[in-house]
Amino acid sequence: MIRTEEMLLNVGPQHPSTHGVFRLVVKIDGEIITEATPVIGYLHRGTEKLAENLQYTQIIPYTDRMDYLSAMTNNYVICHAVETMMGIQVPERADFLRVMAMELGRIASHLVAWGTYILDLGATSPFIYAFRDREMIINMLNELSGARLTFNYMRVGGVKWDAPEGWVDGVREFVPYLREQLKGYHNLVSGNEIFLDRVKGVGVYSKEDAINYSLSGPNLRSTGVKWDLRKDEPYSIYDRFDFNVVTRDEGDCLARYHVRLEEIEESLKILEQACEQFPAEGEIMAKVPKIIKAPKGEAFVRIESPRGEIGCYISSDGKKEPYRLKFRRPSFYNLQILPKLLVGENIANLIAILGAVDIVLGEVDG
Amino acid sequence: MLGFTKGLKYTLKQLTKEKVTYNYPDEPLPLPDRFRGIQKFYPEKCIVCNQCMNICPTECINLTGKKHPDPTKKGKIIDTYDINFEICILCDLCTEVCPTEAIVMTNNFELASYSRDMLFKNLEWLDENDENVRQVNKP
Repeated sequence: MIRTEEMLLNVGPQHPSTHGVFRLVVKIDGEIITEATPVIGYLHRGTEKLAENLQYTQIIPYTDRMDYLSAMTNNYVICHAVETMMGIQVPERADFLRVMAMELGRIASHLVAWGTYILDLGATSPFIYAFRDREMIINMLNELSGARLTFNYMRVGGVKWDAPEGWVDGVREFVPYLREQLKGYHNLVSGNEIFLDRVKGVGVYSKEDAINYSLSGPNLRSTGVKWDLRKDEPYSIYDRFDFNVVTRDEGDCLARYHVRLEEIEESLKILEQACEQFPAEGEIMAKVPKIIKAPKGEAFVRIESPRGEIGCYISSDGKKEPYRLKFRRPSFYNLQILPKLLVGENIANLIAILGAVDIVLGEVDG
Repeated sequence: MLGFTKGLKYTLKQLTKEKVTYNYPDEPLPLPDRFRGIQKFYPEKCIVCNQCMNICPTECINLTGKKHPDPTKKGKIIDTYDINFEICILCDLCTEVCPTEAIVMTNNFELASYSRDMLFKNLEWLDENDENVRQVNKP
């Protein structure tokens, strides 16, 4: 009988499939993983600590750099928290612009998740198609905010810029275009036998596990839990739109893949309705004092980002800087289930499972 | 095999489509007017109110003022104005608070250089950076 010895394998921190600077120390017995330890912190910038010395407006550009694939939702969560504390009513037009920007961001983020996931599994071309369509969204957001990724677009009480001329029409035209492309994506990947062999029944976890590990977003919905803050705790103007919460029951990597692709379709529905209901004119900024001082007290708000629930806790002592700021960063929580999923799996499935969790390291490390 | 051939069909269809890439270094990138690139500074417009320095989240702006040379005029004029592009994140807050639009964004974004010192831009450099200046600076 051949005796095998356990081996320590170091994956990352510089590794294309870890989607950033993420290190994973895995103990393998032959090809089977017996233990996995994630090592994080390589991208830690201390956003929360830095924020204690910054005015609220100054914190917004820092939030862009947490989840850099959907910076709009991060912009929103900090503004929403301060607005909640100060009791500011955001003008309707600003709300529409915010929702449209956030949904475009969600689509862009899911396109990256889709493209890179297939790339991780070894197919190169879908990634290029995903980035081709994402580029159109990036250009639209660039026209709106003046940056391609780090938008710094929202302000406490509204948004910085009004929509440029013809921008809403551009979004309206984009919706049927992407719907058509999505069919192509399904043709390209969803039925591919090699792909299905790699992801079907891989990385399965149950509903109970997902809740116990406080997973959120597509990671939670892939187990059949119907929980989406846009529906269950509507913020901004999400209660005005008709869309579905996408769920799957299998809880494997394929389920997460389908949830993300279908969420793009739901976001397109929201965009379509938002374009139709978009107010012809109106203010984009509420009346806010020049120096923003949140009243003494604390607040916690949470919203649905593409990766899950992003929360923002502010404790204020009445000054222009927060006393303490904390972000509940969904990628960080979603990552916690990884060691449990990896044990007993084949080493080749490591990347398939990690990719399906869809982490952004800027957010994991904060 | 059916799923595999479907995918191949999609790939082959793309061959007839138009190119979507940019011929970037040879041709300039098309950018919207709002694009936030390296700042342009107008020394004659600056009233040394220090607002840009105070709002900067990364503290990359340093400026000093001096008394107006004309004794009949009140106020200060700008003496030195430096932006450290090693830490500037082009967040646009400095142009947002400037009451006289003395500092505005441009569409220029090429900052690569062989030395870190070169990223330290002074008043003269920022004054000469006058191409592709953003037209609309305030919402």
